[in-house]
Amino acid sequence: MKKGDRLVIIGMGGVGGPAAMLAKRLMPEVDVTVIREEERFIVR
Amino acid sequence: MATVDSITNPDQMFADAGINLIIARATHADGEKKKVTLSDGREIPYDKLLLGTGASPVVPPIEGCDLGGVFSLRSAPDAVEIKNFLEKDNRRKLVLIGAGFINLEVATLLASTRPDHYDVTVIELLAHPLPLMLDAEMAVQIQEYLSEKGFKMKMAQKVERIFGQNGKVVGVELATGKKIEAEMVLLSIGVKQNLELAKDLGLEIGKFGVKVNKFLETSVPDVMAAGDCVEKQHFVTKRAVTGQLRGPAVIQGRLAAKRLAGYDIEFPGVTNNSAVKLFDKSIASVGLTEEGAQQEGFETISTTVNSRSKHGMISGVKPWTLKLIFDKESHKVIGGQIISDSEAPVKEIDTVNALILGEKTIAELTTLMCAGNPDCSSEPSLEPITICAEQALQKLRA
Repeated sequence: MKKGDRLVIIGMGGVGGPAAMLAKRLMPEVDVTVIREEERFIVR
Repeated sequence: MATVDSITNPDQMFADAGINLIIARATHADGEKKKVTLSDGREIPYDKLLLGTGASPVVPPIEGCDLGGVFSLRSAPDAVEIKNFLEKDNRRKLVLIGAGFINLEVATLLASTRPDHYDVTVIELLAHPLPLMLDAEMAVQIQEYLSEKGFKMKMAQKVERIFGQNGKVVGVELATGKKIEAEMVLLSIGVKQNLELAKDLGLEIGKFGVKVNKFLETSVPDVMAAGDCVEKQHFVTKRAVTGQLRGPAVIQGRLAAKRLAGYDIEFPGVTNNSAVKLFDKSIASVGLTEEGAQQEGFETISTTVNSRSKHGMISGVKPWTLKLIFDKESHKVIGGQIISDSEAPVKEIDTVNALILGEKTIAELTTLMCAGNPDCSSEPSLEPITICAEQALQKLRA
């Protein structure tokens, strides 16, 4: 992905949170958005 | 019981990392226009989309699953609802349908929280508890242990119906006609993938979820998928399986991020290494059970060794048991199971996992050298992986 690209992640169980955090760390210039239905994020 | 807030991660960590967080239901996804529609009508455009839509509990097609007091557990709010339901009216008669690790952990945690309060019945269609983790001779130890703790273990029993009065559950009827009183029923017989958005996008879907390649890419360009919603490949059998554990979901999520950043790392397949704690017993498994391996067509050799958590002369030493399963043809280790009276040895299952992923053979395992310390491990002469392998070596020659 390149600067300004938009990564959208749907879901924040086991996949979404870790994917978003690492994606932002590896690609700080990419716009990362997570969409989740649940009120809280539980997976560690 | 821990509060929900104490076990969840604060959303602030995402804001601090510069990640946009939207709390809403994604109701539609369009792979051509490359946008996601939310329940509030907003449209979110994307260049790359990662689906991690998870799975939901299967509700069996039996009468009475819709009665009040019948629950399944998937999320923190479910747990709070169950806790509040039990505390209201001081309910005590629990029937758990399914003897997998979720139901057994819930039952043992409840029983530990209020000793001698709950009347617990566990019903399982298969012949023994933890059927996906343990072979019969290992599982029977757990069955007996839970029976000693007061659980009524009804194995190889089919539930005919759940029945109630005034919309609330009062009992469960088995196919034998036997009726069991219940003030609460917990269903845990498996999960099904959440595939609505995947279908929206027109993704190729297999028997066990969204089809992805080794890089977690779907059949639609710029759409990846990971976690419970995707079909996995079993590392040992190379066949498609449903793999719905937290570990693979987290690893797949992080692998997807690496792929998007330009790394070419393949997902190796799942071995389903998992662990569960039931009262004072810690249990773990990895790879295929011996029963499962034989169903897959393997001719197996298995060995079981008793060991201990510390050197014999150290106070607090606890026993533990390791079973290893080998493929007789290739000599490779293909599965492992642990039952332990202390927590530490269960992590040895990850050593077995590494040996499976490394496709190590019986002979290679006989020379495995492990770290040892009187307070932390058995004596080197009781290290069970090497002893299991040596015994398998002898079985091969017999």
